[in-house]
Amino acid sequence: MQRDKRRFLHVIVAQAVLMALSLVFALPFIWMLSTSLKVPDHIQSDSVDPIPKAWFLPRHGRLVRVRPLGIKQGRLVVQWRGGAEKGKTVPIAPRRLLSRPYLDWRNYVEGFQEFPFLRYLGNTLVICALSVLGTVLSCSLVAYGLACVPWKGRETLFWVMLSTMMIPGQVTMIPLFILFRHLGWINTILPLVVPAFFGNAFFIFLLRQFYRGIPVSLLEAARVDGAGDLRIWARIVAPLSKPALLMVALFTFINSWNDFLNPLIYLLNDRKYTLSIGLTMFQGQYNTEWGPLMAMSLVMALPIIVLFFLTQKTFIQGVKLSGVKG
Amino acid sequence: MTDDDPVTVNVARNARLRRWPVGLAFSLPLVIGLLMFTAYPVGMSLYYSLCSYPIFSPPRLIGWANYQELLRDPRFWLSLWNTFYYAMAAVPLGMVAGLLLALLLNLKVKGLAFYRTLFFLPTVVPLVASCVLWNQILNPQQGLINEGLRFLGLPAAWTPGWLTSETWSKPALILMSLWGCGGGMVLYLAALQDVPQELYEAAALDGARAWHRLWYVTLPMISPVLLFTGIMGLIGAVQVFAQAFIMTGGGPAESTLFYSLKLFDTAFTEFRLGYASAMAWVMFVFILLATLAVMKLSNRFVYYHT
Repeated sequence: MQRDKRRFLHVIVAQAVLMALSLVFALPFIWMLSTSLKVPDHIQSDSVDPIPKAWFLPRHGRLVRVRPLGIKQGRLVVQWRGGAEKGKTVPIAPRRLLSRPYLDWRNYVEGFQEFPFLRYLGNTLVICALSVLGTVLSCSLVAYGLACVPWKGRETLFWVMLSTMMIPGQVTMIPLFILFRHLGWINTILPLVVPAFFGNAFFIFLLRQFYRGIPVSLLEAARVDGAGDLRIWARIVAPLSKPALLMVALFTFINSWNDFLNPLIYLLNDRKYTLSIGLTMFQGQYNTEWGPLMAMSLVMALPIIVLFFLTQKTFIQGVKLSGVKG
Repeated sequence: MTDDDPVTVNVARNARLRRWPVGLAFSLPLVIGLLMFTAYPVGMSLYYSLCSYPIFSPPRLIGWANYQELLRDPRFWLSLWNTFYYAMAAVPLGMVAGLLLALLLNLKVKGLAFYRTLFFLPTVVPLVASCVLWNQILNPQQGLINEGLRFLGLPAAWTPGWLTSETWSKPALILMSLWGCGGGMVLYLAALQDVPQELYEAAALDGARAWHRLWYVTLPMISPVLLFTGIMGLIGAVQVFAQAFIMTGGGPAESTLFYSLKLFDTAFTEFRLGYASAMAWVMFVFILLATLAVMKLSNRFVYYHT
């Protein structure tokens, strides 16, 4: 009885701590969203208030939105943003202003005008799609070669592959840059997508584990029926490993979407930028205007967040698998 | 058909030998990829590191001069120190935070799926978007953190300058990295759920208190995962780049000039490719040594149950 009571108490305390922590983890998200929906002068005056607000003035018994322009002879000059006199200015006593909840989409409009989102999105999606195609195709072929075809040397190749995972990208970065420069690939997407067609050690490792789980008798039966290896790969192994291939596709997509260093090295002009480079440059120009910055960061993060929610099970499974390797 | 039947073994061996063209054909993308995108660049990088190579003229062998210059380069040592500071704080703190979250969630609380999703969500946000977001959150005047500290009653004069202060810029980036501790949490939680319940029951029978159960049962049982996240975290932290590039540009007063940032600058703004390659090799050797050291140390602490 005593133990049950103590256990109950523990759970209550844990629940309270978790609630507090979830607020801490969620605050940056809430703040990003609310800042992106705030009127510019409200961001400055009250940046912690999570509810976006704007200034209003009572007129003929209802509230009309106004924009404060400045102080003139002790009176606050405001501009009507609605009602019959929209656009006209009027001096008022500052204390008459009322702050009321209001969602302002101006930051998004301004952001989309200054930030060629669709072009960057298009560039990013092309890179993502080709990387996904290349990675899924090459990794699944190689994994078949390493898991389903018995041959001398496959263990060696596998261990060589695993040991290359220790090499930091900084070591290969410079010679690859020189190589791609000789090939005339600078300022094209080729350096970002071509390597994807030559396998990825980690994903090959994952797929190999998965392929080894496929019963050998199934492959043997197909072989007896006269199917060649390519056919067995395409008709049996690949369809059976759909969940694993989806996981590889998902993580490749997200990695390409988020990649920063490679596009930074290889993409030199504005027309070629991906979202991550575009957003970085946008931040350089809009350093002080938080509204559009938050709006555009949110727009860049949102597809990935949505994708995460849609594929949560696969996603978490993949993260766990990445840890199993240890 | 048994494995030790000599005829079967022979047939299997012959079949094995005959199948190698097929196996190699399937593995060809990997073989070419390893040669072209790993072996060749690694070799060339070692060669360049022994060369003077301003990008517009061909590399010229100069022996160990680049490495000797590194030893005398104060910015090299500074970047090493900055990176060391960041890694030594961000990795252990992130692991402890992730482990604490996992232990809390492992208490069979209600809403586990919700909490797990929420804590994991920051790791999904693209790094560039997080950087832009945290740049504002860490703003000393109107940022969320300092507004919050003032709200809690801290005098305005005491609130840190975060990214504008030489002292606080690294802690600021470490704080930002802690927002992403949910990645480790998912792994720890999975490991915790695999710890056999009998061990706790046995420990409880022996009169072990909660603290002892954590120290003598839980931690040893999940130590392989701790080791793995520690090594991966270390490798990641040593390569920290985008945060400094986007948020601080290495400042203020080069307090966030991390190793990778200096390497990138040396290669792609100063175009000293030989010198930058030498830096890359120093990093590579350091990562290898650090990993070996952690593995060696872990022999004493990590418990593998099979």
